[in-house]
Amino acid sequence: MKNIGTLRAADHILHLAWTPAGDSLAITPSTGDILVADATAGIIQKFPAHGMGNGASAWFHGDLATCGFDGKIRWAGQEWKPGRGMIERVKTSPDGTHLAAGQGRALHIFDKNGPTDFSLPQLPDAVADFVWNPAKANEVATVGAGGARMWRLGEKEPFARFDWGGASILVDWSHTGRWLATADQTASVHVYDFPRDYPLHIQGFESKVQALAFSADGTRLATGGSPVVTVWPCTGKKGPEGAKPIQVEGHDLDVCAVAFSPLTGQLATGDESGTLLVITFETGQFRRKRSRLASGISALAWHPTLPLLAIGHVDGEVMLLSLA
Amino acid sequence: MSRIPVTILTGFLGAGKTTLLNRILTEQHGLKIAVIENEFGEVGIDHELVINADEELFEMNNGCICCTVRGDLIRILGNLMKRKDKFDHILIETTGLADPGPVVQTFFVDEQIKEKLYVNGVVTLVDAKHILQHIDENDEAAEQIAFADVLLLNKCDLVSEADLVGLENRIRDVNALAVIHRTTRADIDITKVMDVGGFNLDRAMEVNPHFLESGHHHHHSHISSVGIESPGDCDGKKLNDWLSKLVQEQGADIFRMKGVFAVKNQTDRVIFQGVHMLIDAANGGPWGERPRKNSLVFIGRHLDREALNAGFRSCLA
Repeated sequence: MKNIGTLRAADHILHLAWTPAGDSLAITPSTGDILVADATAGIIQKFPAHGMGNGASAWFHGDLATCGFDGKIRWAGQEWKPGRGMIERVKTSPDGTHLAAGQGRALHIFDKNGPTDFSLPQLPDAVADFVWNPAKANEVATVGAGGARMWRLGEKEPFARFDWGGASILVDWSHTGRWLATADQTASVHVYDFPRDYPLHIQGFESKVQALAFSADGTRLATGGSPVVTVWPCTGKKGPEGAKPIQVEGHDLDVCAVAFSPLTGQLATGDESGTLLVITFETGQFRRKRSRLASGISALAWHPTLPLLAIGHVDGEVMLLSLA
Repeated sequence: MSRIPVTILTGFLGAGKTTLLNRILTEQHGLKIAVIENEFGEVGIDHELVINADEELFEMNNGCICCTVRGDLIRILGNLMKRKDKFDHILIETTGLADPGPVVQTFFVDEQIKEKLYVNGVVTLVDAKHILQHIDENDEAAEQIAFADVLLLNKCDLVSEADLVGLENRIRDVNALAVIHRTTRADIDITKVMDVGGFNLDRAMEVNPHFLESGHHHHHSHISSVGIESPGDCDGKKLNDWLSKLVQEQGADIFRMKGVFAVKNQTDRVIFQGVHMLIDAANGGPWGERPRKNSLVFIGRHLDREALNAGFRSCLA
């Protein structure tokens, strides 16, 4: 592993996002300017902070869309304030045509001309998180109190829903479109198998799951919360149901970030103490590399085409690490 | 690391919450305060210290039938705690029609929040002119009074002295524990709102030393307070069993519980507080010169004073 370069943002790194081509990395700290760096950690652009704090940013039509607790979205010189509440994240549809933002009970959908009629202004519950279906660019799932709802753009009723009570804080959709996984306010994960219309409730975690991610081929789901990383198989007819997960030890404190490389399939995980694990899966086993970095890890993002990992820290530092 | 105090501001529609918030945000008190508001009122339009959020209630599914908490608060507070530039104080304004229970319960349930923040106090604004009507027509108004550590009896200029005395008595029926301040246009020394000091049964007793005495209350309302005081030591296991059974059976009707116990074989005071079915105990430090005794207060709906007294007596060592 080789340190390619480091830079420092103003505060705790909330989110890191590479452009699809991998030429730029968006760095969103909890407060302070939002930075854009190149693949050598050189800062090439700065965007102004959002009042009361930033939300996670996204690349949209080649420009960076930012959002924040001020309820605003800024993109390409435009500023939209679709409602009064905070906006915690914006996400771009897999085909790049739409940008979504959750704000209270609304899911706003924008295109490059601004707000669209696809927006869902009055959902039954607040949108804690949402995710686009990587396999179908017109489908998006929202999660919050009570469960998950799946929507098609242009339709005002969900085409699918999973209700379980409780609440979810994070959601991810496998790249194949088969699985939807949520991390919950309680120490559990819900996984849905769309072809079977089958919900699975996975319990027994030591603490609340703070990070989850599917591998690029959709065959693995990684969850982190406690110091143990759990990797669930998502293959076969039943996926994680009844399967024995891989449990990876080596972290000192709670895991806050997990990310699969789209290039190599390796899993990177980071914890509050600054321990980084890079896990390589082989048939029936795994290898892990362990590094102790200077401060707690809060965000991870693999480069889309290179064996390069961006690591965001709680003190605002961002490191680019080559695993070639 | 010292925990950051959180004040929860409640009050029925029109009671003066926005006026008080404006005072807090503009007064030179030297504190850096973050405000989380769910009521999209006059305060907060692009104010750099105000976060607007939709009230996001959910049930915990943790076996507690009344354990509803606030997901938006968990996420916002989690985010605020990540920042380098910490706040001195966090103020949460609930909507006028909100039951304060889920907000308070959020601080009992979420481990990460408990670790970094604590509820300094629940402050309830009461519209002196209209509160009697509100109490009679809305459970929420009475529950907001029941949850309060501090009550601002606001708009006092619109009501006669005799009526104010009557109102205070009525409020005491519901919540014998809260400190009551009379205000007009929410004009009050901000420290009386922001520096409530968290759990402090001793201070409440200083304000109203007789509130624990049996038979003091008149029970005009189905929401009331029951105070129990007993010298000597109690048996820790019996006390734990009794409280656990009590909240299992009646937790939905118990809004708040607070107590200080002298537990046999424990040299320090045991302080206890609870919201509905959630209870929490902590070391309250040494008794010092004070006589060992047990003080316990319940505020809730349909409380059976005799049964509660009998239940507690069964816990004495």
